[in-house]
This record gives sequence, structure tokens and C-alpha cells, in this order.
Amino acid sequence: MLVIDLWAKDGYLSTPDGNSIYFWGFSKSETGPAQLPGPHIVARGGETITVNLHNTLTEPVSISFSGQSGVTAGGQPVQPQYTDGELLSFVNHAEPGSMVAYTFTPSFPGTFIYESGTNPHKQVPMGLYGGLVVRPTDYNPDAREFKTAYGAGTDTEFDREYLLITGEIDPDMHRVAEEGKPYLVSKYLPRYWTLNGRCAPDTMLMDGLDHLPHQPYGSMVMGQPGEKILMRYIGAGIENHPLHPHGTHTRVVAVDGRLLRNENVDLSFKRFTVLVGAGQTYDQIYQWDGLGYTPQNPIPTILPNLRNMGVGDAGWTMWSGSPYLGVKGDIPVGVVSYNEFGEYYFMLHSHEELQITNWGEFPGGMMTMVAIYPSLSPVIGVLE
Amino acid sequence: MAIIGRILQGSTGFLSLSGGNIPFWGFTDAFRDNPQLPGPFIEATVGDRLIIWLMRNFLKPVEEPFSILFPGQENVLVKKIPGGPYIYEPVRPQYSSGKMISFTNYLDEKQDLIIEYSFIARKPGIYLYESGTNPEKQIQMGLYGIIIIRPVGYNIPEHPNYSTAYGADTNSGFDVEKILVLSEIDSATHNDVAPNVYYDMLKFKPDNWVINGRTFPDTVNEDNNSSQPYGSEINCRVGQRVLLRIVNAGLQNHTLNLGNFVGLAVAEDSYPLKTPSLDATYEKTSVTLGSGQRMDIIITPNASGEYYLFDREYHHLVNNDHFPGGMITKINVSN
Repeated sequence: MLVIDLWAKDGYLSTPDGNSIYFWGFSKSETGPAQLPGPHIVARGGETITVNLHNTLTEPVSISFSGQSGVTAGGQPVQPQYTDGELLSFVNHAEPGSMVAYTFTPSFPGTFIYESGTNPHKQVPMGLYGGLVVRPTDYNPDAREFKTAYGAGTDTEFDREYLLITGEIDPDMHRVAEEGKPYLVSKYLPRYWTLNGRCAPDTMLMDGLDHLPHQPYGSMVMGQPGEKILMRYIGAGIENHPLHPHGTHTRVVAVDGRLLRNENVDLSFKRFTVLVGAGQTYDQIYQWDGLGYTPQNPIPTILPNLRNMGVGDAGWTMWSGSPYLGVKGDIPVGVVSYNEFGEYYFMLHSHEELQITNWGEFPGGMMTMVAIYPSLSPVIGVLE
Repeated sequence: MAIIGRILQGSTGFLSLSGGNIPFWGFTDAFRDNPQLPGPFIEATVGDRLIIWLMRNFLKPVEEPFSILFPGQENVLVKKIPGGPYIYEPVRPQYSSGKMISFTNYLDEKQDLIIEYSFIARKPGIYLYESGTNPEKQIQMGLYGIIIIRPVGYNIPEHPNYSTAYGADTNSGFDVEKILVLSEIDSATHNDVAPNVYYDMLKFKPDNWVINGRTFPDTVNEDNNSSQPYGSEINCRVGQRVLLRIVNAGLQNHTLNLGNFVGLAVAEDSYPLKTPSLDATYEKTSVTLGSGQRMDIIITPNASGEYYLFDREYHHLVNNDHFPGGMITKINVSN
């Protein structure tokens, strides 16, 4: 049995343009920071999960586990909650200062959202959401045949996996919540668009950085040529986002945590862009083989004449000294190289290009990179 | 192979919404007092000839030309009295001084008494009918309704198509059926639109999100004789197959969460996903529908209780910025 404690609390998000935004989020511990998105929950199919929600906020909070059946609270099936006859929560909630325990046993593997079911027009945009990944019962990361998203024989083997959760932030609405003023959702107008709670370029930074205590998850997708990279998209915002990686199309293998396969018929499909709908999830395999790329036939890069390289002082060099995925050339001492290992970068972004800005300033927002390395440690791209 | 005839009128009336009573334009069965939103549900069986007479309204006319477009129906024919055509001819776009003014033949109540549209129901499914004249304005004002086409034998026990949406072997058998027509309404637009006057639809900023023309909690009230006659509360028992026929009649996309159930998508835009060569049905917990799109989904509740269906675009769950409201309805599951 998996027991997880989540504390609903408040905190401040950091955006790359220097803004500091009040938000509500889930925390892993009583003393830890609220985080956006909430802590990833990774479980195994058939394993009973208990989530203890401790509410430190000033209004009732709940957690709705989308796509899970048989969720109980205090031993009874979760049910809508009312106050003075008016609907307050879609499921049982915790009053301020108290807690509620949810228990369920996922019967299907897949990618799911968990989110507040109380005042959801306010609490979900404020940040009370997270991702739930359920492993197939036969999952075994040490055996390739059993390192799958949906079980052996479902054609969902992967080498690395990444969870990418979309969201939007309207800073004015967050300020209104901070100041306790009326939250008028009719005025909702997002100015930041997030992947895993961060705006680009912070999306490309590592997990768990000291200067982003409330936004622990990076979104940099890393792999090697030919590897199967499992991208799990979750639409946690209240708007739809067309996400699209460069380099190759993705094969969508499951939606809302349900495998696209009937009996032995494969219903998976390839897409240039996947519209990540609100509250929905999409599991896809990204496999970049290159245009005839092999280690013996690296991506050709024509080295420019030294005069055209724009080589200058550290930080002012316009050429990285790189042939991608090949042997790097020499660069002058003290010059910064942007692809230390000869890696090859592809963009992954929302195709509503307004959303790849931070309050209108490009580049930013819902954007990250896919980095293909000539070789990469197996500890990269592991979800725990 | 019956003939299904319906006499409809366009009319002006009032909707009861969070902004109070606001004017709207809607279709109605002829000689009823009020228009309705959505327009009358029209049922037919594959092979039937549908004849829709759209008749001049002398009492509460819309006061500008309007029409009915039948998206998804083929070979729609038209006659008009007086003025012609007097014998059936295919509907076609209408022009005035070289400018296209209507996607289809229309009723101009200043001179026309009645326009007759006719077609044969070819494919089972759930379809919209809506005005094809100034559609950016008139559909938003409420001139839309629903046509349900049944497979032959759907009402004959022992028939393989009995109680199915799309016939035998389409995995569309159901015990309970509910039509959920999603849309949104801008009360300011409704108050300001005047017949025959240009209205700048860029001002469209909806403040009501409706299922079957009603906002929550009115959605869970029963059917009645008002201008918003169709409730959308669902009652079923554990284990029953509940067919949700979701139609997006609005101008915006909507994402319906299926009450935290996992539904089986059995048809999209009235094309069954299971065919003799391929079972392409798939499961979803929420579905995003673009304007004009339809989806048939079967949920099979496995536990008794109350469950809410709602637009996962959460800012649409309010009336006057207050939660709960808007696009929410309920399923009551009993043992």
C-alpha cells in the first residue's frame, strides 16, 4: 500500500521576467514548500493508494482523481458536498485546518490528473493540481519487454519518460486571491503559460533547483538517437494547448490513461501536433532516428570560416564550435559552447505562439527543448 | 419509410438566465406561443423522408430573413410559397447584388409564407439543424435545434438494431439516452442585437454557459413547457448503459468531463467508430468538442451515487462569477 501525504498550502512562483506570483499548491511535507505542479504520484496498477490531504488554506480543498473508480473518503465512496443546499465540491473535502483521506486502487495503468474538486474555477488555476502515473502490473524497468507504459505486448516500451503538465497563470487573478478580493473568473486573462509550473527558459533547467523552490520539475526532454522517449502530457489548465515537438512526429498510444488498442487492433496514431485538452492526458512515443543518422554518419555541419563564427569573449560567441552528434571542432580558449556534448536540440512548444511568451515577450512560456545526445546516462529520464 | 413532417416557425422570446430575462430568437413548433432553446428535437428513422415547413410567424417574427441548414444531411431539397421554386430543387447559397447572404434558401417573412425543406434520412446519428443566414449572429441568438435519426428496428424488440444508436454490431446499445447540447450565450449581445442591423460579433463575450439552453442548477430541473424545455439531469441504475449524445452548438470549444466516469466513444460526428472491418471505439474521461461537432459516448456507472458532469474549462462553471453555475449537470445512479 502506498501512502502519500499532501499539504495544500500557499507560496510564490518565480517567472523568468522577474515576477513573483502568489499561488496555491500541494506540498510533500508539512514543512516543505507548496509546489507547482503537485508532487508526482507514481504507483503500480492494483496497488492501493491512500492520499491524506491536509488543508492549511482558508477555504475547503479536495482532490478529484480523474479516471479512477471506487475512490473512498473515510471508507465511504466519495460524493458531492453541499453547503446550504448549494454544490461546493465534486468530492469530499477537507475543511481549513483539517484533513481528508482518499483511498483507491487503480485498475488501469496510465497517466492521470489529480486536482481540486472544490471551487475548481479558482483552485485549479491557482495551482492545486498534479500528475498521477500508474505502472502496469508487470512493469519491470530492468527488462526491456516489461519497461512499458501499458504492459508487455502493448507496443508501449520506452527507454526514458517525461511528464509534461500544461497550465496557465493570470497574475491578476492570483493577486486577487492573495488579497482576498472577489475572484471574478469572467476577467480571466492568462499572461504566463507553463510546462510543469515553469515558463521558458526555466523549463529547460534541471529539476530541484534552489532558486525555484516551488517549481521543482524541469521539462527538458533528453534522449539518444533511436530511443523511445515516452512523453506523458497532462492538460491541467482550463484552456487547450496544441503542443508539438520538432524533429519527428509522436505516436499517440493512449488518451486519458486508456490504451488505444482494441483486442489486437492497434489504434495508436501519429500526430504533428496534439491538442492537449483541459483535464485530459496523452501518452506518446517520440523516436528520433535522424535523417540517416548513425554514429558513423553524424549530422554534417559545415564549419564556417573563423571570421564568420562571431567568436568573442565568454558569453558573446555566436557559434558553439559544434558539429551536432559528431566530433566537436576546436574552439578558442575561454569561449562558451552551448552544446557541451555535441547534442542536437529540437524545440517543443505550444503552437499558439502567443503562449511562447512571458507576458508577451518572446521567448518564454510554454516551450522547452528536446535534446538528443550522442550518449546519455541511463539515470536521465526516469520518473519516480 | 414514413414521412416525418414538422411545421416550424422562428420566433422571438425570452430566456431565463443568470443575467435575468434576456431576449433570444429560436425555433418553435408552429402555433406554440414561445420559441425554444434548443429548437424542437426532431426524430426520424433511416429511410424516412423528413419535410420541414418553415412558416411565417405573424405574431412574434424574427423580422429578418432566416433559414435552416442541415449539416450532415445530403440532397436537401427546397420549395417556397409564394415566389418559388414551386417544385423541389436542391438548396443552394443565396446571393443579393452578387453578395452571398445565406448558405441556403431562406424565408423572408415580408414576402414568403412558407419554405419547405426535404431530405431522406440516410444515416443514423445525432445532427444539428441551424440557421444558414447571418449564422454568426442568428445561431448565437438561438436558431438551432437537433435531429435524431434512428436505425431501422431501433424500437422493435428482437430486432438486432433494437435500442441502439447506430445499429447492430456498432457497440451503441443503450438503456438510457440523454442529449446534451452545449453552447454559450452573451447576454449583452442578446440585448443589443436588432433585426436587419449589422452587429459586430467581435464584441461576443459570453457570460452564460448552457446545456440544453439552461445554466446549472436549472439544468437538473425536469423538462417543462418553458422556452428552455429540456432538462439534462440523468437518472439510471448501476450497470446500465447510458448513451450521452453530446453536441456542441456554440461558437467556442467545450470540454465535457463525464462525471469522473470513463466513457466509451462510439461515434464521432455521427460516424460509428465500430465498423465491420475495425473496432475503433476508445475510452475517455473528458472530451473536447469543437463548434458543430458531435460525439456519442456510453458510460456504464458501476456504483450508486450522485455524479456531476461539467465543462472541464472551469471558468464556464459560474453564473455571474459565482460557482456553481453554468455548464454543469448531474447523474443520479441508483442500485
